[in-house]
Amino acid sequence: MYEFTYHRPGSLEEARKLISEDDGQPLSGGQTLMPVLRARLAMPTALVDLTRLEELKGVNLEGDRVVILGATTHADVASNALVREHCPALAELASGIGDPQVRYRGTIGGSVANNDPAACYPTACLALDAEIRTDRRSIPAREFFTSMFDTALEHGEIVTAVSFPTCQHAHYEKFPNPASRFALIAVFAAKLGGQTRLAVTGGGTGVFRWQEGEQAADSGGSLAAAALSEAYFTGDLHASTEYRMHLTRVIAQRALTALG
Amino acid sequence: MEIKGSYHLPCDPQRAWEALNDPELLKACLKGCERLEKTADDRFEGTVQAKVGPVNARFSGSLTQTEINAPHGCTMVFEGQGGVAGFAKGQADVKLDAVDGGTQLSYIADAKIGGKLAQMGARLVEGTARSMAEDFFGKFSVALGGEHGGGTAGSRSDVPEHVAEGAAAPARFGSSSIWLVLVAVLMAVLAFYWLA
Repeated sequence: MYEFTYHRPGSLEEARKLISEDDGQPLSGGQTLMPVLRARLAMPTALVDLTRLEELKGVNLEGDRVVILGATTHADVASNALVREHCPALAELASGIGDPQVRYRGTIGGSVANNDPAACYPTACLALDAEIRTDRRSIPAREFFTSMFDTALEHGEIVTAVSFPTCQHAHYEKFPNPASRFALIAVFAAKLGGQTRLAVTGGGTGVFRWQEGEQAADSGGSLAAAALSEAYFTGDLHASTEYRMHLTRVIAQRALTALG
Repeated sequence: MEIKGSYHLPCDPQRAWEALNDPELLKACLKGCERLEKTADDRFEGTVQAKVGPVNARFSGSLTQTEINAPHGCTMVFEGQGGVAGFAKGQADVKLDAVDGGTQLSYIADAKIGGKLAQMGARLVEGTARSMAEDFFGKFSVALGGEHGGGTAGSRSDVPEHVAEGAAAPARFGSSSIWLVLVAVLMAVLAFYWLA
């Protein structure tokens, strides 16, 4: 065991102060951070727990936007009436993340801040042009996810909410790794302003929009023939690059079919 | 596990070879590199503070060049220790081919991972290695371009292209760039640690 300080701030303002003054590591649901700490792959001197901040929990409807606050768990998103009514695909996505333990601890803010290259939420953010709100600013999703495990967040910046447009025409299709439930490949398909959106996760290098696939879908072309850059994909012990690329076309087609 | 990549550098193979054997330049281009020393004509040693997502760990490693064919390439044997994370070792072939407007650097690395890392699967290894390689060669390319007085040949490759497959010509060139690969592998290795 090594020593660190655990802080449980009572307000966002206090959390910000602790993070900047004590060089604290923000802790949300801990579904990635805790295993990393356990393996001693990171040894921060202080943890600042954001999960008790009521001001960061819940879902609000702001005009035509569904705003999910940062420390809201996947289970709460999956069962939330506002989400189910105004953006049902998002509830569906949240209900399939990990296992029940992960869904009752993991949060949307933690997921997008971590930007795991196989995480589910980043696809919905990209496909739906979400805005990621922080304690300092609001960042469009297309500028937020910069590369695997990398985001536009500055040091100590906290994700306070993710704002999605209301959307009835969306579907999340996931081909999960049967052990981890991470996406081997998953595609979030949506119709936004009459245009098809396809966002892909699990390729290996981070979430991306498959724009050639979107164009093929809008022009009545075939996804099987649409260009797909190999640069988005890597192979590992679970699946080769070629398999993931093939799976992307298959899963994207299933998502579009479900979209109708 | 095989990792490969190809990058365009805005200089001739001779200059690229020299740069790849310049520990100060390499250190400046390698994110998190705390120490990088040339301990013999054909050997480098160093430490890197690797940060990938929530992982933050220090690795030490060494790199030995074999089958040197300056300035055309070499084979590099590397190994690294990451404490609790485990170790990685392997070898890489690096080639420098003269192409229009500069040099095409390509590498193929074969790495083995052991210790606790090996128990966890390799979901994130390749992606991490690639992203580190791109970061390294991006800075490296800019550094070389800058030295050439900001010529157009240099600026064109300020944003280096990562090409999936290496170019054809089998001339062998190499350099300590594989250090980068080595480190990338190490980091990757440790990075995928929390995947399960």
